[in-house]
Amino acid sequence: MDKSVRINRKKNAIRVSKGERIFYIVNYFILTLLGITALYPFLITLANSLSGSRAILAGEVVLFPVDFSLEAYYQITTAAKIFDTMANTVYLTIIGTLLNMLVTIMCAYPLSKKYFPGKNLCVTILTITMFFGGGLIPTFILMKSLHLMDTYLCLWLLGLFSIYNMIILRTFFSGLPPELEESAKIDGANDIVVLIRIALPLSKAVLATLTLFYAVGWWNSYMSPLLYISSPDKAVLMLKLKQLLDQSQLAQNHPEEIGVVRPVIAPESFKAASIIVSTVPILCVYPFLQKYFVKGVMIGSIKG
Amino acid sequence: MKVNVQQVNLSNGNTQRRRRLLRDMKSARYLYMLIIPVMIYIVIFKYGPMYGIIMAFKDYKIGDGIWGSAWVGVKHFRTLFNSYDFYRILRNSLLLNVYSVIFQFPVPILLALLLNEVKCNRFKKPVQSILYLPHFLSWVILAGIVIQMLSPSTGIVNAIIKFFGGEPIYFMSSKGWWLVVFIISGIWKESGWGTIIYLAAISGVDAQLYEAAQIDGAGKLRQIWHITMPAIKPTIVILLVMRMGSMMDVGFDQIYMLSNDYVRDVADVFSTYIYRMGIENIRYSYTTAIGLFQSIVNLILLAGTNWVAHRLGEQGIW
Repeated sequence: MDKSVRINRKKNAIRVSKGERIFYIVNYFILTLLGITALYPFLITLANSLSGSRAILAGEVVLFPVDFSLEAYYQITTAAKIFDTMANTVYLTIIGTLLNMLVTIMCAYPLSKKYFPGKNLCVTILTITMFFGGGLIPTFILMKSLHLMDTYLCLWLLGLFSIYNMIILRTFFSGLPPELEESAKIDGANDIVVLIRIALPLSKAVLATLTLFYAVGWWNSYMSPLLYISSPDKAVLMLKLKQLLDQSQLAQNHPEEIGVVRPVIAPESFKAASIIVSTVPILCVYPFLQKYFVKGVMIGSIKG
Repeated sequence: MKVNVQQVNLSNGNTQRRRRLLRDMKSARYLYMLIIPVMIYIVIFKYGPMYGIIMAFKDYKIGDGIWGSAWVGVKHFRTLFNSYDFYRILRNSLLLNVYSVIFQFPVPILLALLLNEVKCNRFKKPVQSILYLPHFLSWVILAGIVIQMLSPSTGIVNAIIKFFGGEPIYFMSSKGWWLVVFIISGIWKESGWGTIIYLAAISGVDAQLYEAAQIDGAGKLRQIWHITMPAIKPTIVILLVMRMGSMMDVGFDQIYMLSNDYVRDVADVFSTYIYRMGIENIRYSYTTAIGLFQSIVNLILLAGTNWVAHRLGEQGIW
């Protein structure tokens, strides 16, 4: 039986091999090409960041650094003080993500319960905000009138939690076996104890996913800091990066106008180095992201 | 639970019902401790700005406050509908979305079909990692890379064009090329990530179907067309329908990072226009009116797509 199946399979493989082999070759070829195309922009940016200005201006950098130099990195850490900005961003990200998780849990857990008086009201209040909002300017005015301009608190309040992520977590919570909760309740535990002792430990994977989603969101946030943060010492990484990219553009066109940062190296490698420095932290958490995000997306797409 | 409440209600009247409600509320007191702060936050920071919408019908002055400013009726809407800018941003928002549905939407489907046929994990995993990566990077980074690669003087793309004897192309400042850059950079960022949901749908297909098709002599392409495609069709339909709900939205970050003064005619959309007029030019009332217009259109689109989704037998959004 076992043998005949194997023979059968072999026959099959031989019979269809020609068309299939062409298909597989073409498929691997296309995917390899796409992979290289998607990766190459990062590689050339890395190469540019490590190359000397002469080689860049002559267009000699194609894949590997030419006239290897760390000058660009020296410049962005000293003249541009990118690490100060990064410290700001780490602070913004850590506190922001903690608040996000706290509030997401606080909202998702009660809503995962089948019934409590007022649940429908809460759901309605939340749902409306998914489809209609005050808009950019009224929110801006509100923050202004609360004197929250130019504070991180304002950013944290704006992005306190995402309803989509809350739905992911709520869906997960409502899938937990109710027996565990019941037995804990019989032992005298209240809802908050059940949440902390039972529900949260059972949801580690989805909590990790959401934490990463939120953290990446904070790290990459640009629009809110652009609107609400004005003092340079509070600038976050993406604001600073955009500023550096624009400045070195200016340096290229009007070298005499530069007051803040004066790159003595090719603007290309200066820009490339600041791009690389901003990308590296994401690359460091990327393996974790990969491990969890597929799961998170799947849970989210079940209901959402 | 609800049926119970009703039965009790019929037999014993209102007092019983009220007592029961109080008891339920008391037993849920810890749940209230969790959710009430969230609701207070939502009311202040999500519904508060909705109150600010009345600015759209007033001439908002900072000193007078929202309520104290003078009513002007639909003046700002009249200004808006009479301005050339409005038709430009409306056209751009719709066109960019139409292009994106035509050119970006099918890419994750094709990619998922290709990836699904790769059996060797040592090849598949790295390719997936590379394709997913741009999703996690901000537009500041990606646009920075794109602009640098396309630079007419030092960019690698123009270096290749020059190598083959062509004239360098000013990608970022010519309107036609800018649209191409917009679409391709969008594909680069999101299509890898977009494959996940299709791959999941494909993974639910019974492997026996493929074997049966193989025995019947169907080649790979026919298997894809007759087995895989029907399996992911519901996913495609629902994602397409949901995509239609955001036909007026263009992400601020991508436009803001990629655009410049040369391409404003094709790149200016609602979000960038509101930012420029509202924050930079401090025309609060006027831009609130634009925002309100946009929200209402979005609401109509969402309700429409939701209705369509239900008609198609899908779950819809609510």
